[in-house]
Formats: sequence, C-alpha cells, structure tokens
Amino acid sequence: MSKIIIIILFLSNFYTCAFAATGCSLNDPDRDVKRLFPESTGYRTEFITIEEIGGPELYRNIEKELGDRFDNVYETIDVPYAFYDILKGKDIIAYIHGVNQKGKYGGMQLILATDLNGRILDFFYQKMSSPEAAKFMDKNFTKQFIGLTLDDFIKGNINITNPSIKSHEDFLATLRGLKKNMILLNELRLKK
Amino acid sequence: MNVLGIAFKNLSRKKIRTTLTVSGVAVAVAVLVSLFGFDAGYQKGLDNDINKLGYHLLVTAKGCPYEAATLMLKGGGGLRYMEDSVYKRITSDNRIDKITPQLVSSVYNQEGPEGRGAFTLYMGIEKSYLDLKPWSKFKSGGWFSSNNADEAIMGYEAAEVEQRSVGDQIFIPGAEKVMKIVGIFERTGTQDDGMIFMPLSKAQEIFKLPNKLTGIGIKLKDIRTIGKFEEDLYDEPGIQIVSLAQVRGTILNLVSSARAMAGSVALIAIFIAVIGVTNTILMSVFERTKEIGVMKALGASWSDIFKIIWTETILICGLGGILGAALAGIGSSLVEHIIRTVLPYAPAGKLVLIKPSFLVISLLATLVMGLVAGIYPALRASLMKPIEAIRSGE
Repeated sequence: MSKIIIIILFLSNFYTCAFAATGCSLNDPDRDVKRLFPESTGYRTEFITIEEIGGPELYRNIEKELGDRFDNVYETIDVPYAFYDILKGKDIIAYIHGVNQKGKYGGMQLILATDLNGRILDFFYQKMSSPEAAKFMDKNFTKQFIGLTLDDFIKGNINITNPSIKSHEDFLATLRGLKKNMILLNELRLKK
Repeated sequence: MNVLGIAFKNLSRKKIRTTLTVSGVAVAVAVLVSLFGFDAGYQKGLDNDINKLGYHLLVTAKGCPYEAATLMLKGGGGLRYMEDSVYKRITSDNRIDKITPQLVSSVYNQEGPEGRGAFTLYMGIEKSYLDLKPWSKFKSGGWFSSNNADEAIMGYEAAEVEQRSVGDQIFIPGAEKVMKIVGIFERTGTQDDGMIFMPLSKAQEIFKLPNKLTGIGIKLKDIRTIGKFEEDLYDEPGIQIVSLAQVRGTILNLVSSARAMAGSVALIAIFIAVIGVTNTILMSVFERTKEIGVMKALGASWSDIFKIIWTETILICGLGGILGAALAGIGSSLVEHIIRTVLPYAPAGKLVLIKPSFLVISLLATLVMGLVAGIYPALRASLMKPIEAIRSGE
C-alpha cells in the first residue's frame, strides 16, 4: 500500500496546497492580524462582492473612479473581496483588506491595513512573482504608502519612488492595485 | 373478511405508536439505501478519477514513497529521479499503447513577508502527454513552438492564481527564468489544473537535471496484460511501479473500514427496527386479547386472525420502507456532504448514487423483515382460546 501514496496524493488534488489562496484573503490571518495590530483581541471576516452591494452600476462607477477597465476574466463583478474588521474588545479599530492584481510576471496580492477612515497604516505584498520582487517587498518601498488616503490616489497627491526601473510595469500595477483596493474599501465597507 | 381494512383500522387506533414504529423502520431503510448508494457512488467516482489520470501504470524512481510524496508537497530538490534511458528501453515494448516521460519539480517562491511563500509545481512534458490525456483541451493558445522553447502552458487554476493569459510572461523563482505563456488548459478537475508545464528538455535544463525523469506514464494495449508487464518491469533496476489497479484497491481498502462501520450501524438499526415492530404488534395483540377472543367466538378462524396481525406488521414495514426510501433520496446530498467531510479522500462527482434497484431491494428486504417480525405476534394471537381470551381480557 505504501508505495501508492504518491498517486493517492495526486488523486487528492494536493496541488491546492501549492496554490492555497486563490482569492485575496489572508493566507494566515491570525498571524497577520497579530503582527499588524498587536493590541487587537480578534477579528471578523466578511466577503463582499460588487454584485451584491450595487450591481452593474456600481461596477461601472468603480471602473470610472479607477480610471481603467476591469479585466473581464479576473476582475468580474462576482469576485468576493475579503474584509477583516480588526477588533479590540467589541470595538472595530482598523480594517485589513486585499486584492489581486495582475503583475508583469504573475499575480500579485496586495494587502492594506487601514484606520477607520481608510487611511493606510501598513501595506505588504502577500504574493508577488518577479525577478525584482525583493525590491518591491522591501519595507523602504512599502512604507512610502503609509498615511495615504483614497483622496490622495484620486487627486494624484502621491510621491512614491519606483524601486525597479527594470520592472516599471509592476510598479504601475502596484499603484493600480492599491487604488482599486482603496476604492473597494470605500464603496463596499466604509459606505456600508 | 376484509383483512387489509381491519389491519388499517387497528393500526390507526394508536396513531402515535404506529407513527413511531414506522419512523424506526424508515430510518433503518434510509441508512441501508444510503449505504448502498455510497458504495456505488464511491466506486464509480474512483473509477472516473483513475480513468482521468490516463495511465495504467506509473513508473517512478525507487525510494521511499512517503519521502517522495512529502518532497513533492513541501518542495526541495530531494525528489528521486531516474535516468531517461529507462524510458528509452521501456518504450520499445510492443504491449505499450501510449507512453510519456515526465519531470516534476517543485520550487519554493518566497513571495510574501517574513520569508513566507508557497511551492509551485512544474512539469516537463512531451507531446505524448496529451495522447494519454485526450480530455486535456486548450482553453486558449496551444502547444510549445519547439522542444526547447522558453515557453509554458498553464493549468486552469495556475493561470487563475497568477492571472495569466496567453502571451503573458511568468517568472520561475530559483531558476530565475522568465517564460512566455503559450497555452492554458481547460479545467480538468485533476492535479493538472494547478501545474505549470514546459517542454521536457527545457525543464531538464532549467532545473539542472539533464537526462533525468521523475515518472513515466504508461497505457497498455490490453489492460489484462498489466500483471505480466509489471512483473517484467521489476527486472529494470532503480525503478518502482505503481499500478492504478492497485491504487484503486488501496483506496477502496481505505474506505472499507468506514463502510464496515456504517454497515454495522445499518444492521443494528434494522435489528432494532425488527424488535420495535414485533414489540408494537405484540403489545397491540395483548391489548386486544378480549377482542380477538370475541372474533374467534363469532367464527373467525385462526388463519383469519393470523392474517390480520401479519398484515398489520407488513403494513408498518411497507410504509416504513417507502418512507425510508424517500428519505434516503431526499437526504442523499446531506449524506454526501457528511461523508466528504469525514473521508480522507473522496473522488469527484456524485458520491452517493441511489439507483432504483437499491430502492427495490430495500423495500423487498423491509417486507421480508415484516414477514419475519410478524410471525410470533400473529401466531400468539391466532392460537388464543376464545373463552380464555375473553376472560383474561375482562
């Protein structure tokens, strides 16, 4: 029996381990929440789609605000976005939310921690495939986004240094993904 | 004498008791039907999964399979490899219908904070791979332009996770290689959905494994020759053979203990139901001792009394059987959900397959159960002496 274990694993679709998070939820929420908010006592997760909040009209409005069309395969109206309410006792003290964004060499997962007004408290890449990934994931790059709000993204009040000239597309993709993330937070969570 | 009418009337006198007894029988039948359904559904699902794998045999390098499986899961360079000369030797065997070499490699991609990341599986293949998996269709794009091209084909889910389309690039960490996506497979429901494929010789080159393979998939012209073929391959040094017939048997063995337990529960449920039915009818007979005495005094024969009591039992079991069969049909999704959460491996597709024949068999079994359970109370009632019955009932 023992030598058959490999095939059983194949049959058991073990590849799901290799591709654990297909959405934009946190891979290890307990650890991430504690790391980002040591004072928190817990968190609550909610998955929300554009479809259930505002339907096609909201979908078009978000595209307009983003200034770009959504990808018709990977950014459809029914994509569930994960929102984590960070709790201290019974009070919500912050939000964590993530989005997928197409990068030059693979999918990126961009995670934001914000205060209750949507101001960025922290930003990190949960996943990024690129020869230049280390430069993008470097704290010196990600910390530049701390303090920004959706207004800053919309008005263009951001002054972020591109960490890699070789991978300019990934820099632009990061900015797009974060703007999308902020708009979604505003439309699906803060306005709710 | 309208035996059926009298039996109905008698049962409807004690509605709650009759309902509870019928429910007991129904639960036992529902368990039995579900068990038959699970057996059939599981075997069918497993056969489908194995057929989808495409091979009759998988030849791998000799070594501890647990270790190999762990390495494949957890990554690292410790996977066992065999020389591709083995493939060249085997391929000339005229019993083989289709054969394909493959090289699997897993690469850890540190793509997140605090050193976190995930393993990605890559597989080097030749075009013969598609011959063994004719259901693998391209959702977009197509095959590699050459055997040494810097090109990749992605499984459906791998493309979804990486948000790739044909023409995009993909970066292979560790190998520090950028490849162009030339094709994306449709969803197959197999492990292929999560794989990233590349030409075999390119995989050997970028993972620095020249002339190495991790597996050879084989489909025979005649499945009945599998035993002899396997035996002959054992002469080949450094390899081990995994036969899918063996895999099927092993997985069925894995679930057989769960099935045996469920079977025991079904048997116990049936046994309790039989006792319950006997007890109910017996109580009913005791309560009607005087009535039975009067019936006999008025000319009812012992066979009339026997028929009435027996019919009551059969009615209870028949109703319970119909109700149980309906319950099993309605509740099959729930049973399937429970089984999937409990079993270590459950094949794709419908896991509880309730065929009409199972319902017929279960109904017949219930009627037989009714016939058996009714014998003692019916005999007891029919053999009563009229005078004694009337006196004892006073």
